[in-house]
Amino acid sequence: MLDFLLQRVAISIVTLLVISLVVFTGVRMIPGDPARVMGGTDADPAGLAEIRAKYGLDDPVPLQYLRWLGLALRGDLGESIRTREGVVRTVAAKLPITIELAGLSLVIALAIAIPAGVFSAVRRNTIWDLLANGVSLCGLSVPSFWLGIMLILLFSVRLRLLPASGFVPLFQDPLANLERMIMPAFVLGAGLAAVLMRQTRNSMIEVMSADYIRTAYSKGLAGRVVVFRHAIRNGLIPVVTILGLQTGALMGGAVVTEQIFVVPGFGRLIVEAVFTRDYPMVQGVVLITASAYVLINLLVDVAYSLLNPRIRIRGGET
Amino acid sequence: MSLSRLQRGWHRARRRPVAVVGAVVVLLFTAMALGAPWIAPSDPLRTDWSKIRKAPTWAHPFGTDDLGRDTFSRVVWGTRISMQAGVFSILLAIAIGVPVGLVAGYYRGAFDQLIMRLTDAWLSFPFLILAIGLVTILGPSLTNATVAIGLGATPTYIRLTRGLVLGTQAEDYVQGARALGAGDGRVMARHILPNIASALLVQATVSIPGAIIAEAILSFLGLGVQPPSPSWGTMLSAAQQFLEAAPWMAWWPGLAIFSLTLSFNLAGDGLRDLLDPKDY
Repeated sequence: MLDFLLQRVAISIVTLLVISLVVFTGVRMIPGDPARVMGGTDADPAGLAEIRAKYGLDDPVPLQYLRWLGLALRGDLGESIRTREGVVRTVAAKLPITIELAGLSLVIALAIAIPAGVFSAVRRNTIWDLLANGVSLCGLSVPSFWLGIMLILLFSVRLRLLPASGFVPLFQDPLANLERMIMPAFVLGAGLAAVLMRQTRNSMIEVMSADYIRTAYSKGLAGRVVVFRHAIRNGLIPVVTILGLQTGALMGGAVVTEQIFVVPGFGRLIVEAVFTRDYPMVQGVVLITASAYVLINLLVDVAYSLLNPRIRIRGGET
Repeated sequence: MSLSRLQRGWHRARRRPVAVVGAVVVLLFTAMALGAPWIAPSDPLRTDWSKIRKAPTWAHPFGTDDLGRDTFSRVVWGTRISMQAGVFSILLAIAIGVPVGLVAGYYRGAFDQLIMRLTDAWLSFPFLILAIGLVTILGPSLTNATVAIGLGATPTYIRLTRGLVLGTQAEDYVQGARALGAGDGRVMARHILPNIASALLVQATVSIPGAIIAEAILSFLGLGVQPPSPSWGTMLSAAQQFLEAAPWMAWWPGLAIFSLTLSFNLAGDGLRDLLDPKDY
């Protein structure tokens, strides 16, 4: 158990190091003077000199990397060219909005996917199963931003039920916040729901054909009890893993969704940063996103092994 | 392919009409992409100030956009861009991923470990964030978006190929080829590759629709194809400003993406069943 955890943590650390190396190299691949890339075109000579000294840009590149890594570990990812505010600070201010959006969409996705997946597995090869599969295939194929635009057309332009865009902080007015978040959350959750539903269905089908389920049935238990008390517990285990892997898609999806619904979160931040050539911000956001993804998956793996000691993934053999 | 194999394929395909429909629609889109100059009734870039945001009519079945351009012609030409981005990015991913995966899986050892850690890190970047980062460095254009999407999909192919190669190592035909004195290169190219090709093909039918959506998203965000080029993503981005006045601008490009990706997914599901009947 401990071996597994240590190995898993070690791999995550190596992954994080490689990620930092990739991000570091990426920014240095941008043509031009790195000090100017990080300071922006309107930085004065004094500002450029300051950046040069801070990152030791006259040192050999490996030394520059170590210095940059040291700063990053202490939470210093430089400052935004556009606003001159610290990158970490700006991200920290935007992140709660995206987390709320992602959380809501996760709730929506699970609320759709698990009942639908379990139901279509239990009623396998009936019209309901076919219907659920059809809907999930559509969910996989529909481009989220088009779904968003169509929802705005329907609920905001035609029916005038929901505001098309804008944002109200959660603690200022929870109801108004929810009114504006429900469409983006649904759009973000739809794709995830499709993936989770397919996974739930497949693993439930597998579990339902296991011996212990047959035993439960032959004991005379009602179908409902067998499904809810016995099958679901094991059937949902693979779903947890998929959920961890899907957080990456969720973060990427947030970029698009926030753009359509003008939600001032983390995703909009990165798009704005790209357009204003705010390289320190892009670098910071990419680094934070990738690290968060690694950590989330580490947690999922740990949770997974705690939940299910039977499956002890051999980390090195992935 | 002999006649009987064709017949057998047809018999199997007939049992999956939905997959056949998907494949046919994919072929239709391919024809549209190739034949865009002959299919589109007018120049997708020609603006006409007297026809700004006109609702669909017989002359303009999909209506016109904010610059008076014919939406139908733009959707037809947009097929070319989407297909190009979808297919070429995945070809790039295969061109890099398959050889690397082959070598890593065949020789194992330190190189394999290095490649695995690199793909771990590579896969830790959410696909879209990675593509955005790459486009920031390379600059926005169709080619760069295609490269970014291709590089984003590469680790999947490295891992898939490696896994498949590991699975073939113990097979008799690999052992047999080695025993007959075939060199490593020959075993990989002539014996292993043909046996894993069908799994790679199935993966490609799954990744191409993803790549098509990724291109549309990048173009929608302004990081891919640049206006006035008719890409489905840029069309949707323009449409978003006129949802009240001209909703048809948003209907068609999105419907085109949706039907193309759905058809790819349907055809891919069918292909998987066809090539690997034991799986389901």
